[in-house]
Amino acid sequence: MSARDQILAALTRHPAPPVEPARSESRPEMPANPWSVLEKRLAQNGGRLVHSHSGEWIDSVKWSCEFAELTHVYVATNVPEPSPTPPASQLPATAQLSTLTSRGVGATAKAMRDLEPLEVTVLYADFAVAENGAVWHVPASPLERTAALLAEHLIVLVPASSLVATLHHAYERIALAETRFGWFLSGPSKTADIEQALVLGAHGPRTMQLVALES
Amino acid sequence: MGHVDRAREFVRDESRTKWHDESLWFVRAKRDEAADTVPDWEALRDEAATIKRDALSRLPDLWRQFETAATEAGAVVHWARDAEEHNQIVLNLLEERGFRRVVKSKSMLTEECGLNPFLEARGIEIIDTDLGERIVQLRNERPSHIVMPAIHLKRSEVGKLFEKEMGAPVGLDDPDALTALARQDLRKRFLAAEAGITGVNFAVAETGSFVVVTNEGNADLGTALPSLHIACVGLEKIIPAPGDLAPFLRLLARSATGQPISAYTSHFRGPREAEDIESPAPAMHIVIVDNGRSDLLAQPSFRDALACIRCGACLNTCPVYRRSGGHSYGTTIPGPIGSVLEPSRDPKAHAELPHACTLCGSCTDVCPVRVPLHHQLLTWRAHLAEGGHHPTRRRVAFGLAGRLFAHPRAYEILTKAGRRVARRLPAAWLDRLTSPWTEARTLPPIPARSFREQMRARERQATRGPR
Repeated sequence: MSARDQILAALTRHPAPPVEPARSESRPEMPANPWSVLEKRLAQNGGRLVHSHSGEWIDSVKWSCEFAELTHVYVATNVPEPSPTPPASQLPATAQLSTLTSRGVGATAKAMRDLEPLEVTVLYADFAVAENGAVWHVPASPLERTAALLAEHLIVLVPASSLVATLHHAYERIALAETRFGWFLSGPSKTADIEQALVLGAHGPRTMQLVALES
Repeated sequence: MGHVDRAREFVRDESRTKWHDESLWFVRAKRDEAADTVPDWEALRDEAATIKRDALSRLPDLWRQFETAATEAGAVVHWARDAEEHNQIVLNLLEERGFRRVVKSKSMLTEECGLNPFLEARGIEIIDTDLGERIVQLRNERPSHIVMPAIHLKRSEVGKLFEKEMGAPVGLDDPDALTALARQDLRKRFLAAEAGITGVNFAVAETGSFVVVTNEGNADLGTALPSLHIACVGLEKIIPAPGDLAPFLRLLARSATGQPISAYTSHFRGPREAEDIESPAPAMHIVIVDNGRSDLLAQPSFRDALACIRCGACLNTCPVYRRSGGHSYGTTIPGPIGSVLEPSRDPKAHAELPHACTLCGSCTDVCPVRVPLHHQLLTWRAHLAEGGHHPTRRRVAFGLAGRLFAHPRAYEILTKAGRRVARRLPAAWLDRLTSPWTEARTLPPIPARSFREQMRARERQATRGPR
């Protein structure tokens, strides 16, 4: 008998009695001020929330260094181009998404290891979860997933209208059977493995900013 | 050396014991705060507990369903009866590809199977990438906690280790700087790795998906770059449907560290798509491991422990764990849940563990999936006594006590005589004579009369009483 059949047989020898799962029908509803709840939870996870009109998100983000000096940037293909383009006087001369993407290594990387070193990655997530400050994101490609991990700083855009109260509501929106890879992200990569001291940037991004886009 | 001896070793350093105790209590307090923010917390615990018990009642069906769905998604499913089979499967997967460099993210299962030493002995470099696990790997220790593997170490000890292993400047003990060093070192290894091994937090039968949860993102980085992903999963990790993930993920991080959710909650379903002209093509292998789990399932008193989601809340709250340290248990999994699980593997070796418990019940109170831990620990004591696994001294003492308690008259006479003698002995002698209980405590003064005698006297007085 194969290992598989032996294991399956062993599991039927003394079966545990059947149990009816006590699945709750009532789930917590959307809080009155969902974005401020989310902001608090995200902050607990070391992330930062900003609100922005979709055309101006580049301005609302706190850049880790002079925007004009960024050279290694990965921008996911579904990130909306700032539109309508704000008057040039209101932005640093180079602060246009198109300039960002054209300068980004992400645009030309052939293999995933070529992404190193990556300063900033910008993603566009499906929706956010108020109760825990997470966003649900399905990378368009393995390259995009890797870029989200290798970058020093992560920026995630999400439509402000796409907000659910809890993870129960979240899974109602997720088609897991059709999802090769998807993740909840909340805050930067972090560890507290040395004396419980919180350190941001264990392996992946050191900062994570979530931008709620008002249309 | 048993738990008592190792614990004695640990508590010798009083300030370290206090520090360890307080660090863990801090995490326990954060758990309480997080639980308080969830209005339906108790209902969630019921839900999670019953979903797991439902799953445990139909494991063969669920795993067959998982196997079919995961295979459809392009993964290859393997079955391992025990640790050796598991290790051999992993080794074969690496050897048939000629892979030598492996990164691994936290997995108590591979720890249980002794995968690291097995692969290392066969010339494969396996690097633990969780910072805490990396620290204990470099120290040649096992994790002392299932969520915080290096919780027993101080920053200065980590500094000394990194001085030796990573060329850290002498005296460096800043957690930020130490983590940055480890990050640099591990980033190179991530980029060079040929295979990534992960554990599994939850396997979803319906879709053949599985979920891996980390704060560091190491499971993601470890599987994003190498072409081969090997996921090792214990038989107890399965749940029926995607929607069932919600209650568990709402409970897990809050119970473990008091966070609303972990930074990375990744859902895998089959290997990733090939990027451009990637070679070799990405592959995913899932190893389903029994290693004693079907035996545990066959024990009605203890099978509920298979519902455990490894959050570590019972460790953080346990007064014995906090004051004796994880290594004192001498097991892969320490603390209350370890003391329930490990004797089922080897009752003789771990017979002491169910006694490393005050029966305070705090573990049961915080368990997100309602494993009746302290009840199980008490039941283990009886099982182990019946199985003849108690030390001779305890067996004889309990045998005598049992007979004495069955004869009230003899009990009264003997204890009366005992009190007479005891009251004449110096307190220090008495402490030494009685039991290990008095090693760190002093017996209360022995009263002249027993409780029964005092009650009888009271009753006499009451009937005579002033008119």
